[in-house]
Amino acid sequence: MSNGNFLTVEIGAHLGSLHLDISFALTARWTCLFGASGSGKTSILRAITGSLLPDRGRIALGESEVLPGGQLLFDQATHLSLPPHRRAVRSAAQQAWLFPGTVSDNVGYGTSLRTRRDAVEEVLARFRLAALADTRVESLSGGERQRVSLARGVAAALHGDHRIGLLLLDEPFAGMDAPLRDQLAPELRDWLRERKMPVLSVTHDVGEPFLLRAEVVRVAAGKVTAQGPASEVLSEEKQRLRAMLDS
Amino acid sequence: MDRAALWITLRLAASTTLILITLAIPLAWWIVRGRGLPRALVQGLVALPLVLPPTVIGFYLLIGLGPLTWAGRTLTHALGHPLAFSFAGLLLGSVLYSLPFAVQPLVAGFQAIEPGYLEAAEGLGAPPLKVFLGLVLPMARAALVTSAVLTFTHTVGEFGVVLMLGGNIPGVTRTVAIALYDQVQDGQYRAANISALVLVALSLAALMILYLQSHSGIRSRSSRSV
Repeated sequence: MSNGNFLTVEIGAHLGSLHLDISFALTARWTCLFGASGSGKTSILRAITGSLLPDRGRIALGESEVLPGGQLLFDQATHLSLPPHRRAVRSAAQQAWLFPGTVSDNVGYGTSLRTRRDAVEEVLARFRLAALADTRVESLSGGERQRVSLARGVAAALHGDHRIGLLLLDEPFAGMDAPLRDQLAPELRDWLRERKMPVLSVTHDVGEPFLLRAEVVRVAAGKVTAQGPASEVLSEEKQRLRAMLDS
Repeated sequence: MDRAALWITLRLAASTTLILITLAIPLAWWIVRGRGLPRALVQGLVALPLVLPPTVIGFYLLIGLGPLTWAGRTLTHALGHPLAFSFAGLLLGSVLYSLPFAVQPLVAGFQAIEPGYLEAAEGLGAPPLKVFLGLVLPMARAALVTSAVLTFTHTVGEFGVVLMLGGNIPGVTRTVAIALYDQVQDGQYRAANISALVLVALSLAALMILYLQSHSGIRSRSSRSV
């Protein structure tokens, strides 16, 4: 399983009118799946978490500092499909889906009971949520809910009971104010890099891969059309955006 | 007032509710997660007491638990007495007769939970039991209360199954609903009125619990939009 990749995905699936035929490997610490709405980005994440069963193919986590030995998640040839809770991946969905309770309850949900208190404290501080620790989630704003959901996913990846080899984030900064996002995104990138946690995130925002200095896997109509540094893969979008701002 | 009949009614309703909630929770969850023909068959069997006359259920149980069948003979041998015309037999009949009143609110409650919550919990590494106990059950709390209250009130008002299976034995299987029938037959209208009022009070109190909790639900939802 040791091939220098954090993750390899080779899958096919029919999802209504969308035919997913995806093949890519992650080598960068942070990779963004970039594409338009309906291109299949979220379905790829759901196939990795185990919420969606592909028709064919293989998904494997490679060896890494955080997951020595890697893990085979799905292999149609041998009829293997690990249940979601056994997969060494943690995720935060695009919609917050906060559980009834307080912000602390939510952030601590996927963490180890032994280290929960310290873990929650650390993650709340990183996400500037300490003041909301005891607030019930029903009274949070949309942006705050998104931040709690993101913090919950990160806490589960870094402070869970098991070794985790990949963190999946679906539109992690959507709904946040731009100044907060511009501050939070690089901080999160540096923190996760420091903790050697590989990340695959989904975005349709051109600026985000640049902000995160991430590699980009471009997806269109269920297929990977390009992969590489943001400056190469998204050069057209960057030029268009620049021209629009200059006009 | 036939106090023995009231005690039997309350004991029967409480025991039926306890047993049915325990059985209905996993059964309703299986129905929500299941698919195809097996699910349709189980749903049909669960709903059958809603459309069948109670006397049909009582008749089959009377025959099934009696000396004519192998199951009935085995049960009689094991218990030392026939299950029919006993409180235990009455309890079995009540559990079957009230099954849809326990299961269907729970199925509706479980179905109302957005799958996104379950996927989010799985994505945080929660095993299925933790998701069910820590998330699904608390989120379906209103459905649990509805299920318990409907089962209780429905059992309090049972007549056909209780009469067929219990045989109206005072102090053993005679409930308030049966006592009321006897009192009317004997022309004791004053006693019948008291029995009827007791049944009305019991049912109204239970239903008030149900509607009080549903109103508090609306209040808590509106407070979220602040």
